[in-house]
Amino acid sequence: MFDVTHFIDMVPDLLKAFQETIIMIGISLSVSIVLGLPLGILLFVTDKGLFWENRLIKSVFGFAVNLIRSIPYIILLVALFPLTKLLVGQTIGPIAASVSLSVAAIPFFARLVETSLREIDKGVIEASIAVGATPWMIIKDVLIPEAKSSIIQAVTVTVISLVAFSAMAGVVGGGGIGDLAIRFGYYRYDNTIMIATVAILILLVQAIQIAGDWFAKSIDKR
Amino acid sequence: MLEFRNVSKVYSAKKKEVVGVDNVSLIINSGDIFGIVGYSGAGKSSLLRCINLLERPTSGEILINGKDLTKLSRNELRLARLKIGMIFQHFYLISQKTVGENIAFALKAASMPANAIPARVDELLEMVGLAEKRDVYPAQLSGGQKQRVGIARALANNPAMLLCDEATSALDPKTTVSILRLLKEINKKLGITIVLITHEMDVVKEICNRMAVMQDGKVIEEGDVYDIFASPQKILTQEFISSVVSFDIPKTILKDVRGQIVKILFKGNVAGEGVISDTMQRFEVKGNFLHGTIEYIQERPLGIFLMELQGEDSELAKARAYMTERGAIVEVVLHV
Ligand SMILES: Nc1ncnc2c1ncn2[C@@H]1O[C@H](COP(=O)(O)OP(=O)(O)OP(=O)(O)O)[C@@H](O)[C@H]1O
Ligand SMILES: [Mg+2]
Repeated sequence: MFDVTHFIDMVPDLLKAFQETIIMIGISLSVSIVLGLPLGILLFVTDKGLFWENRLIKSVFGFAVNLIRSIPYIILLVALFPLTKLLVGQTIGPIAASVSLSVAAIPFFARLVETSLREIDKGVIEASIAVGATPWMIIKDVLIPEAKSSIIQAVTVTVISLVAFSAMAGVVGGGGIGDLAIRFGYYRYDNTIMIATVAILILLVQAIQIAGDWFAKSIDKR
Repeated sequence: MLEFRNVSKVYSAKKKEVVGVDNVSLIINSGDIFGIVGYSGAGKSSLLRCINLLERPTSGEILINGKDLTKLSRNELRLARLKIGMIFQHFYLISQKTVGENIAFALKAASMPANAIPARVDELLEMVGLAEKRDVYPAQLSGGQKQRVGIARALANNPAMLLCDEATSALDPKTTVSILRLLKEINKKLGITIVLITHEMDVVKEICNRMAVMQDGKVIEEGDVYDIFASPQKILTQEFISSVVSFDIPKTILKDVRGQIVKILFKGNVAGEGVISDTMQRFEVKGNFLHGTIEYIQERPLGIFLMELQGEDSELAKARAYMTERGAIVEVVLHV
């Protein structure tokens, strides 16, 4: 069932696929942090009772986030082909796949950030308001530090979701581990590749989770 | 001077309206340590939080030195808050920042130049007795120490006023005493007006000079702490005071009472026992002490005696009049 010589032959392909997966995840994670973090903060601070309370902004962005999150990734991927073409010039390959991965991950991560911020004791925010802090100071010195550990957990969850999504992107030629699993494992009934790719994905997810947990814990001062 | 002018706060939660503060008018003078007492839900926190507009009053005015805080713009209000410190029952420190950083946060809010911050932080920590804890995180401190950090943060920008919402309720009795002592010192040394909420009359007796009693969002009684302890007017006030100063007579004693029971109060330095023994000698009255104590409120003695008096009604009346003349406050509690 597992053919060692075939596996050794395929190592270069596996490495390339692994590298492509890392590129996809790396790009889309960076984009989702850069855009999703502010979006999550915005969703939180425009909520009722907070210092930038704003029903309009809260509901417009809340709706957009829900909208994207309600579309299954595989449909989003196809629906975004025109945008992908516009941005990257093509619809196959890891860079192209990063577009839809980012679009899917931004609202996902933003909601997780919002939830993390909601865990902060309201009293701490109030105490900062009472001290005369500006909203920016509160975001920078209270909200982000207090939620930091929980936001790192959110990053971990997002990365793991991206691993799963990136494998799906492989189905339509996004490259990466998923692509390899489909092309060899599924279409060619190549069990060795199937087992190898699944093992790589399992190890990858485990490693991300362990690293995330450790990091989140190590920076928490509570 | 802080003045509440017809302040009301109505919360609208799920279709229902809850009155937190009901048309309160109150003056708190500069330099006061003002205590607000009342049962849970009376509106104490709501009233206190109206002072720095953490809660915006539904109607009425909050005047600090004649300036209405409710009329300020967002940024003016933020600047006004720099001069109103606040401490909380649960401290509310930033858990991911060190003690020093927590205090520096308040200084940054006042735009203090970065190079002046460390010295000021050290000075504040020195004042609250935590000089060696600057680089420690709040999780490593005891409750009393956390409250000291809270106090240092509140005092960072030299406020004129310090608001304390049940600041000692989460602390053990010994720590409570040390925090109260610190608050008193702050009031004396820095001349900061302190408004504090508590449900412990001991706290009021210990440090307040003026107080208000709240019930159902209203202030039902207010005044000098000593006067209120000596002669509480409202039943609720009496209830609160009885936790510190007891006038209760055991039922078994009441059963055997002949004549009348009187409560005799001596305010200040009147020598109570002397007055009473003089009275017994002068009039055809026999007296029996049921209870006697001297309470120190604001370091002023308050003598409280409960006596059973027997004799002709006319003699009893004369005896009471005589004691009143000698400075006592005499009240007939029971007449058999
Ligand atoms: N944010 C809020 N929303 C709705 N109702 C509130 C809110 N805050 C307070 N209340 C209500 O207002 C009333 C007064 O509450 P407040 O917290 O001022 O009482 P308190 O005297 O401080 O009580 P405690 O001693 O329990 O702290 C209560 O009936 C309370 O339920
Ligand atoms: Mg309260």
